[in-house]
Order: sequence, then C-alpha cells, then structure tokens
Amino acid sequence: MTPTVSASGLSLHYGGTRALDDVSLRLSGGVTGLLGPNGAGKTTLLRVLATAVPADRGAFTVLGHDPGTSRGRQEVRRHLGYLPQTPGFHPDFTAFEFVDYVAILKELTDRTARHREVRRVLDEVGLADVRGKRIKKLSGGMRQRVALAAALVGDPEFVVLDEPTVGLDPEQRMRFRELVAQAGEGRTVLLSTHQTEDVAMLCNRVVVLADGTVRFDGTPGELTAQAAGRVWSSEERDPGAKAGWRTGAGTFRNVGDPPAGAELLEPTLEDGYLLTLDGAGAEVTA
Amino acid sequence: MTHGTTGWHVPETDLRAYARGDLEPPLLWSADTHLTACAHCRAALADVTDPVALDAGWDRLDAELDAPRPGLLESLLLRLGIADHTARLLAATPALRRSWLGAVAAVLVLTVAVAAGHATGGSPTLFLALAPLLPLAGVALSYGPALDPTYEMAVVAPMHGFRLLMIRTVAVLGAGLGLNLLATLALPGYGLRALTWLLPALALTATALALTARLGPVPAASLVGGGWVAVLLAADSVRAGEETTLVPFTAAGQGVSAAVAVLAAGLLVLMRDRFDLSRGRTV
Repeated sequence: MTPTVSASGLSLHYGGTRALDDVSLRLSGGVTGLLGPNGAGKTTLLRVLATAVPADRGAFTVLGHDPGTSRGRQEVRRHLGYLPQTPGFHPDFTAFEFVDYVAILKELTDRTARHREVRRVLDEVGLADVRGKRIKKLSGGMRQRVALAAALVGDPEFVVLDEPTVGLDPEQRMRFRELVAQAGEGRTVLLSTHQTEDVAMLCNRVVVLADGTVRFDGTPGELTAQAAGRVWSSEERDPGAKAGWRTGAGTFRNVGDPPAGAELLEPTLEDGYLLTLDGAGAEVTA
Repeated sequence: MTHGTTGWHVPETDLRAYARGDLEPPLLWSADTHLTACAHCRAALADVTDPVALDAGWDRLDAELDAPRPGLLESLLLRLGIADHTARLLAATPALRRSWLGAVAAVLVLTVAVAAGHATGGSPTLFLALAPLLPLAGVALSYGPALDPTYEMAVVAPMHGFRLLMIRTVAVLGAGLGLNLLATLALPGYGLRALTWLLPALALTATALALTARLGPVPAASLVGGGWVAVLLAADSVRAGEETTLVPFTAAGQGVSAAVAVLAAGLLVLMRDRFDLSRGRTV
C-alpha cells in the first residue's frame, strides 16, 4: 500500500536550535498521534509536512507529490487540511463566513458548490445551529470546531492537527476526540498532542518525538508494552526510578528499572511514553 | 405578475432561466431570496421546469439560505462587479477595515487642512510627504503573520501566496490612492503639483513589497518609509528656500520614482515564490 506521507531524513535548524534531526516516517490511513514534550519539534514537523516551512535537509512526498517544487507544493496543498496550533480567526466573521473564506483559499470558487461544502463540514463538526453566529461570540470549544471544519473543508486526504485539544474542558475534549476519530475514517490524520489520553482514545499509531528526533514509532499497544515489567509501586519515591509520582492512593508509581522484589504494576501508555523519553523532558514529580 | 405582500414576483422568463441554471447574479440572488418566501413562485417554478432541474435548483437554494448576508465592504465590492469569492478574500483584509480607512481619511483631512492653511505657492509639502506613506502602510498591514490572523492557514492553502498578496495589494492600493486623490481635489490651487505624491507612492509600495519577501511586511514598510523620510530631509536641507519644490516632487524626482517603481515591480515578480512559505517560527 502506498503511504500517504513518506518522509526521510528531515532536518531543520532555527539559528542554533535543532528543531528536527533526521526524522523519517511513513503515514497511511487512520489517526497517527505525535507525542512529545514541549519543544520536542512536534509543531515544526507538522509545519514542514503541511508545507508551511521547508526542511533544511531531507525530503518527503504527500500522495506522491514532492513539495520541494512550487507546483508540487500546490498539489500537496490541494489534498491537505491544516489546523495550526493557535488557529487565528477574523473575529467579525461568522462560523459560516470563516469556513467559506478558507474554502475560497482552497480554490472552491463556485458559490453554490462551496456553500454546500461549507454547510456539510459545519454539520459534520456539529455547528449547524450556530453557523450564522459571529466567531467572537462562540466558546473556545466551538471555535476549535470551526477551525476543524476549516481544515476539513474540501474533503482533504491528509489532515494535520496541531494540539487541537489544548485549552478545552474535559467535555469539549471528549466531543473533539469523537470528531477527530470520525475525520480519521478514510483519511490520514496526523495529530500532535502532549496528552497520552488523546493517543489512547484516538490513534491507531503513535510517534514519539523528543529533541527533534523520533524516539518511538509503532502502535499504542507497542508503546505500552515498552513499560512491561518496568512499572512498580512503592511507599516512598524510589530514587532509582527514571520517573515517579504519587498516585491518588497515596503510594508512588515508579517507572524505570525496578529493584528486586518490587511490586510490579500493569503498564499504561503514559508509562511507555515516559520511558521512551528517557530523560528527554520527562518530568519527575513527587 | 403581482401577488403577495411585496407585489412583486419573479418574472416567468427569469424563472425559466433559474430552472435551467442560467440566471446570473444579481437576478439570481433576488430570485433565491424571493423563492424562499413565496409559495406562488415556487409553484410557478415547478410548472416551468423538469423534476431533475428543480431538485438542482432547490439544492442551490438550500446553499443560498445558509449564505451569510455580506457586510458593508463586501456588498460594495459585489456592487462594483468583483466576484463573490474575491470580495470575501478582501473582506478579510485588515487594511480595508472601516477603522483603518477612517484613520487614513482623518489623517488626510488634517493634512489637507494644514496645507490649505499655508497655501502661499510652491507645493503642499506636508501633504506630498505624507500621502505616499498611507498606501505603503495599508499594504504592509494587509498581509503577514503579525497582522493576518489566518496567515498560517492561508500559506498552506493551494491559492498561491503571491496571488493573495496581489489581490489584497490592488484593493488596498486602490482604496488608499482613491482617498489620496480625493484629498488632492481639495487642493485645487496647486494644480498638478498636488499630484506629485502618486509616483513616489507607487515606488515606495513596490519597493516595500519586493523587500517583504526577505524582511516581512512591517519591517520592509518601516525601512522604506524611513528611507523616504530621510530622502525628504536631505532634499529639504539642500533646497534654496521655502518656496522651492523639494527634489522628489520635481520632474527629475518623478522620473526617479517611476524608474524605482518599475524596477521594484520587476524584482517583486521574480521573487513571487518566496510568498509561498511561512515566515513564522515555532518549535
């Protein structure tokens, strides 16, 4: 099966900062989660794959198109939906007007067909009832859904979502996850997040990025399995653990190399993620 | 036909064109709006069309029902014959917003008042010096990551960044130059001398746009605007007396402005692909 995205050796420096270092990956249908701590290079990788910025080194294709040329870039963009980390809105626009504006940028110039498509995506994200409302009067969750509708307008085959659940309350987050799962049916979605719950609930594949490099690439189950036999409970924080935190029960949950006779626990995706980071941004809390 | 509260109905010829999909705006919009409220015309439409075409018509009508009512600026642009998708792009242009145009108009009124108050011959120097800066600022404020909230989305859209820039530039430049021309009409005593801001305005705007590809819109416009002020100060320091016209507004100065405008426009076209990528940086 031909992958939607095929990237090899992507590197990018901003001045003296190494944002991406030799990143290679292949993406096919479904939702792939891009996990990593702040400053890991997630947004940079998404912006490169969304053709917003070029990589210093390396190459990639989207649906066989090479964005290294102006024509190839335009072809990639015709198949792309993008929700940036902090989506901006023209506040005086209504939800309908804003998505309509993005649809025009996506070359949907026929008024009737465009309006039909705008209505379809607003229905899809559950905003049919507020499409005439000004964006500045919508809640944060609704604005995020407007931005998702803008990303999905034109029915793109490759959708890039940069931390779409940040700032949403738990109920809004659940609703948004449902929408992203729905969007992943028949498409390739790349979702950046630092919340393991997003990955556990949404993704059929996960890529862990730290310090600009890929630390893990596999299924959420495989990431969880990385922590098998490496999570244990203790009454006090174990100084030998790579990370440890107090649980609601008052005991400490530790990940790393357990001491002999330790009470081993069932690993979670979060445990596997922390072990994969291995000092590259894992926060140890007491 | 006369019927209903308004007394107006869609003429049968228009209904037939509507059914065929041949009715053009603005008649199309009138028909769409009226058909949603008039059962009589809906029935008449059913009589003049075949079922398949009628379904397509209703589909189009459904889409129209959701379409927002265009704002003041967008309505004006539509009336001027601008395509609806271009009007929507322009409605999202910061520099075309009422507040910006209002501020520009206020500055111009003030400048003209000052110039008219000192109409003692020579040139309206303050007006001529300021007028080229207004379209320059307008163009700088119409594009880029700092001032366009949807910049990142626009950059990765298939519409080429240079095309979007040019659509907005032409509109902002048109509005800015139009306001300047109105202000010029308020200075009839100076004759054509009151128009000598035009070529410098084009030169400054084209130069700033060419530099935008490398520096970004606001730094480029600031640099060019600063350069313009420096040129004026230098010209002022060498002129013979207060009644003498500053060099940039003489025939020779106008020639230089025209040459700079043409060169900068050529450079801008050569650098057009640079507008296709984002300028923002986030890790």
